[in-house]
Amino acid sequence: MDSRIIASNLADLYKKAADKYETLPAFATRIKALEWEHVTFRDLYERGRRLSAGLIELGVEAREHVGLFSDNRYEWMLADYGIQLSGAVNTPRGADVTDDELIYIVNHARIRVAFVENDALQKKIIRLWPELPELQEIILMSPKSKPLEGVRALEEVLAIGALQLEKGDTRVDERMEGIRPDDLFTLIYTSGTTGKPKGVMLTHSNMMSQMSVIPIELQCTDRVLSILPIWHIFERVFEVYTVSCGACNYYTSIRTLGEDLQNVEPTFMGSAPRLWESLHQRILENVRAAHPVRRALFHIAYFLGHYYQESIFYISDNDLQLKDESKIKRTIFKVGHLIRLLIMVPWYGFFNVAVLEAIRKSAGGSIKATVSGGGALPIEIDKFFNYIGIPVLEGYGMTETCPVIAVRTEDRLVNGTVGPPVQDTEVRIVDLETEEVLFPNKKHPHEGRGMRGEIWVRGPQVMKGYYREPEITKTVLREGGWLRTGDLGMMTFNDSLKILGRSKSTIVLSNGENLEPEPIEMQLRQSRYIEQCMVVGQDQKYVGALIVPKLDAFVDEGVEVDSMKELVDNARASKIIRDEIRVMMARTGGFKRFEQVREFRLLPKTFKVGDEVTNLFKLKRHVIEKKYEQTIKEMFAAKEVKV
Amino acid sequence: MEFDTQLLYAIDEALLGIMILIIMFGMGASLTVDDFKAVVRQFRGVLIGFMSQFGAMPLVALGLAIVLDLDPAFAIALILIGCLPGGTTSNMFTYFSRGSVALSISMTTASTIMALLMMPILLSLYTTGFTQQLSEALFAAGEVGEFVIPTTNIIISLVVVLIPVAGGMILRRFSPGWAKTAEDTAGFMAIIVILFLLGTLFIRHGDILIRTPWQLYASAIGLGLCGFLFGFWVSRLFGLQPIFQRAISLETGIQNGPVSFAIIMLSFADTPVRDQMLWLAILYSAFIVMTSSFITLYYRKKGRFDWEVYRNTVVHNRLFGKDYVTHYPEGFLPPRIAHDPSQGTSLSQKR
Repeated sequence: MDSRIIASNLADLYKKAADKYETLPAFATRIKALEWEHVTFRDLYERGRRLSAGLIELGVEAREHVGLFSDNRYEWMLADYGIQLSGAVNTPRGADVTDDELIYIVNHARIRVAFVENDALQKKIIRLWPELPELQEIILMSPKSKPLEGVRALEEVLAIGALQLEKGDTRVDERMEGIRPDDLFTLIYTSGTTGKPKGVMLTHSNMMSQMSVIPIELQCTDRVLSILPIWHIFERVFEVYTVSCGACNYYTSIRTLGEDLQNVEPTFMGSAPRLWESLHQRILENVRAAHPVRRALFHIAYFLGHYYQESIFYISDNDLQLKDESKIKRTIFKVGHLIRLLIMVPWYGFFNVAVLEAIRKSAGGSIKATVSGGGALPIEIDKFFNYIGIPVLEGYGMTETCPVIAVRTEDRLVNGTVGPPVQDTEVRIVDLETEEVLFPNKKHPHEGRGMRGEIWVRGPQVMKGYYREPEITKTVLREGGWLRTGDLGMMTFNDSLKILGRSKSTIVLSNGENLEPEPIEMQLRQSRYIEQCMVVGQDQKYVGALIVPKLDAFVDEGVEVDSMKELVDNARASKIIRDEIRVMMARTGGFKRFEQVREFRLLPKTFKVGDEVTNLFKLKRHVIEKKYEQTIKEMFAAKEVKV
Repeated sequence: MEFDTQLLYAIDEALLGIMILIIMFGMGASLTVDDFKAVVRQFRGVLIGFMSQFGAMPLVALGLAIVLDLDPAFAIALILIGCLPGGTTSNMFTYFSRGSVALSISMTTASTIMALLMMPILLSLYTTGFTQQLSEALFAAGEVGEFVIPTTNIIISLVVVLIPVAGGMILRRFSPGWAKTAEDTAGFMAIIVILFLLGTLFIRHGDILIRTPWQLYASAIGLGLCGFLFGFWVSRLFGLQPIFQRAISLETGIQNGPVSFAIIMLSFADTPVRDQMLWLAILYSAFIVMTSSFITLYYRKKGRFDWEVYRNTVVHNRLFGKDYVTHYPEGFLPPRIAHDPSQGTSLSQKR
């Protein structure tokens, strides 16, 4: 039963939810393991109206940006209600916001009114106040802390609003009426890779389009466990979606997750890959600690689950199809899979019931589906959950697309992909160099399925642009409304999107640090020994470099080599380069610790124009990465052994 | 249908014996003293289940035997199966059919105890006609003596199978970990042994499945199916909620097969009809796994909505306090559970 509310804007949605779901719980917060506090849809809306009236009285204008610095809590949602009902826009950030970010965001977004979560944050913002010329009002959210001088408690603003409403103030209703689909509902600053954060402008119509295309069905009886930070658009959209469906959000934390899974019995969860990794780890630990008999039973069950599900995937055409296969071959294989399936059904049935159900129970037992987003889910973990019978719907998106571009559905559960693009959304695969459309393109066989390129997307969820950054917006948002995602991907032969990496050169280390390779490469190229180089380290612990040495320089130095091939294994050459890197990196002093090149490999050949570099000598990173895949692997493996 | 050779060899009988032991032990391992106390708490459900199990089910067996015109030996076996207490597998099927597992466990517990009293009464009541037929047939064949239901032996057999149950309960008391293992192993063993028996029977009496008349198949399959049907409607008639309806339905249809093997092997050992009775018990045990699987899948799908409402209400009472009342939007709940979304499991939710 699909009972989601369709509304014209977020404020309208909040109102309709209150009218439809009245006293059902909307959000619940843990006090103790078995004691939770909840707020109903009606109460939340009425309080939101009061807050809105209070904000308007404090001078918040329609379409004004209101700061919201807080982690997940019920008051976050209340603040959002208040801001949306005032026709204003919120600019959220977590409680771990740094001084620099806070100053940048408040000033760049011209924030006059800001909500802060707790005591620590109010102290921080008061300390920084001299640097925030436009900031006028600070509102403290946590009822447990006492507001300092110049700070208002949330309750105070609510009281102001209540008084206004009593007096017959109708401004809230007028503001709600005045919201246009093209107005922003939020301005989210993404951690910038080029130094400063960028404010992503998302509109009410972006949000409302997501509400109608999310291919997951929830209703009043569903319970959603929330763990991701709400200022992350992925979590935010799902929380608003649960409001639209009348389901209840239960806030949990990593510390209490195990307990809360048991007590809340969530029917749905959306989370980042890290959570699935830790859940996977926990399940395996439980298995390891179990009786030998039970352990053996688990292994048999997992084995059966594996082959049973794989056969189901193949028969329903939901296997990973990276290459074109003939229909005849597939038909024959399907018959094979069908036979295997029939043989396995009774055994799988029994083990599913006796063993796998117990495993699923450790994840609360009622989970119907889960969504993973915000990063790539390792394929083994993805498969693990599918094999034990918890379907993981991996999705793909970015803040700039509010966020969902594609997501697997229960009918299209293709492991290793992020599923088909959501409704009303067009996806193109575009050649990185020529910007030729590879998919969908009738000139290519199978319209370009299976071809790699940059993913471009067009649809109702695409942002309006970056706030006050028209130049950057222009590089990302192309004519015709196409957004360059900066990710590499391909369309599989069963029309699911597979993500292959990033086309942007930004490197994300395994510890989450972002760095741009170009400045480092530019610096290294200053060396007389280095002809060309490319910095690598995506998903690695540290930065490495592939270096094309200048042969002449080494010969001049007295290194006895005749070719670049010989240089590769020359110890003296290696030492020279190692010292040279240290000198070059230290020269400007502008590189952070994690940006230091810790390992390198010399390459036996120069980069060729048209092959590894473009006509303008720009590196074709994915070509080089592919060509020297083995070298890169060895480079990072060597260090690992020492550790 | 007659058996010219022995249906089961000594080795099979030993295997069957071990299987019964393990299954009953596993059943015990899943029980605690609290389960007995729970019988009192859900007395109404247990009572209705009791009527369905010991009232409707033997009558269904009798009716099937008459309608299908079964041989007296098979008829007696069918009625015997009809009078059996509920099996442990019903708890598992109830769980997956989104029924009340608590009620299922209570009913299994209660009926296992009650069987000591009910089985002899019901058997002698419903089998009189068939034992007479059998005696006459035996007399005509020139044998001396009269066929009577060995009441005392049946009670003794029942007591014998209850011993491993008690053993399992003791294990559960002292080592829940091992008990859980025993429970799982038992379920697995049961399937293995049934399949093994069918396999060997098939090899040894190759044509046995062909020689078996269709009436026998119909009765073996029909008994379970009618049980499900009667259980479902009897409980509905008494106004029980869907989760209990599903539990009673499955509990009524699924009888404790191993107990029937034990009774037949221990109490009818010297009678010429033993093999025939055993064959029907084997057929029933094999088919009931399949029919209950299908019924479970069906219930699971059909009961999805009311189950979700029930679970949500339970969680609300768990987290927001036992006095919390959940109000769903108008028209969201179907009339049957609108006045009590917790389906009788929480007092505060009753309207």
